[in-house]
Amino acid sequence: MSAAEDQADVEKVLAGDVSAFEGIVRRWQGPIVNLAYRFCRDRARAEDMSQDAFLRAFRSLASWRREAAFSTWLFALAANLFRTDLRRFPIHPLTLADIPELRDPRAIDGGLEDEDRDRVVRDAVYALPAKYREAILLFYFHEMDVPAAARSLALPEGTFKARLFRGREVLRTKLAKVRVSPGLQEEIP
Amino acid sequence: MTRDDLDRILSAEDRIVPSSGFAASVMDAVRREAATPPPIPFPWKHALPGLVVGIVALAGLLVLGFVLLTAETAAPAPAAFSLPQLISAARVAALKVDGTGWLAIALLLTLASVFFSFRATGSRT
Repeated sequence: MSAAEDQADVEKVLAGDVSAFEGIVRRWQGPIVNLAYRFCRDRARAEDMSQDAFLRAFRSLASWRREAAFSTWLFALAANLFRTDLRRFPIHPLTLADIPELRDPRAIDGGLEDEDRDRVVRDAVYALPAKYREAILLFYFHEMDVPAAARSLALPEGTFKARLFRGREVLRTKLAKVRVSPGLQEEIP
Repeated sequence: MTRDDLDRILSAEDRIVPSSGFAASVMDAVRREAATPPPIPFPWKHALPGLVVGIVALAGLLVLGFVLLTAETAAPAPAAFSLPQLISAARVAALKVDGTGWLAIALLLTLASVFFSFRATGSRT
């Protein structure tokens, strides 16, 4: 994705050419919808939230300061909107104690199938307090790039790292009894 | 479960592809947004004189009320207290205080607010 194309389209939109915004939408729809999906895990809602994010971006395009990449600005704007949306209308107000596998260790003593294990881990992420959950979601969305994830949450890197560390520690403690199946272990290089 | 296990599981999150009409739907919303006239700003220029007059009048009323109150308390207390005497004293004080002065101020304020609101809205139409 070209930063020059983004800049050119933004200039055109600011000069009154609304249709130039379509280039921005087409370039960034995939990442923004996927980011929204990570927050809400519902495809239809992810698209609604993404549409709101693009509309918000269109309205406040003039506030993009050129020293940051357009993508950084767009992700920060979108992440902020998604966080607000999810806090107002949570997907499922789950707590770690609500996850049956974590409540009843017998359920996981024999090891879980990969799919079930992934579900348990993701449920555990969504049951974390918002500030840890958001740090973890953004960290993995940005492919473990701490500076990018911190910028998306508009947090200093130190604060972001502290939240990420704390969130992962909570997860590791809660998921300590969840075994990784032998098949997966073999896949580890 | 180790941190590596967590990294592996959470990095392998499903990716979704936006529906085919998504970009078109966003652009429809953007065009609607662009076609909507900007919100009418609050007419501060027209409202400011009215606000200033209102604040000055309110301050005047407070000062007047304070002056009247201090004048009342500075007056010598009656030698003996009885309920009928107190009521009649209150009536006299009320007649002194209220009446035409207060009514005039209230009317002036009302007229001023009506005048300024008409001026503010009339100039935009």
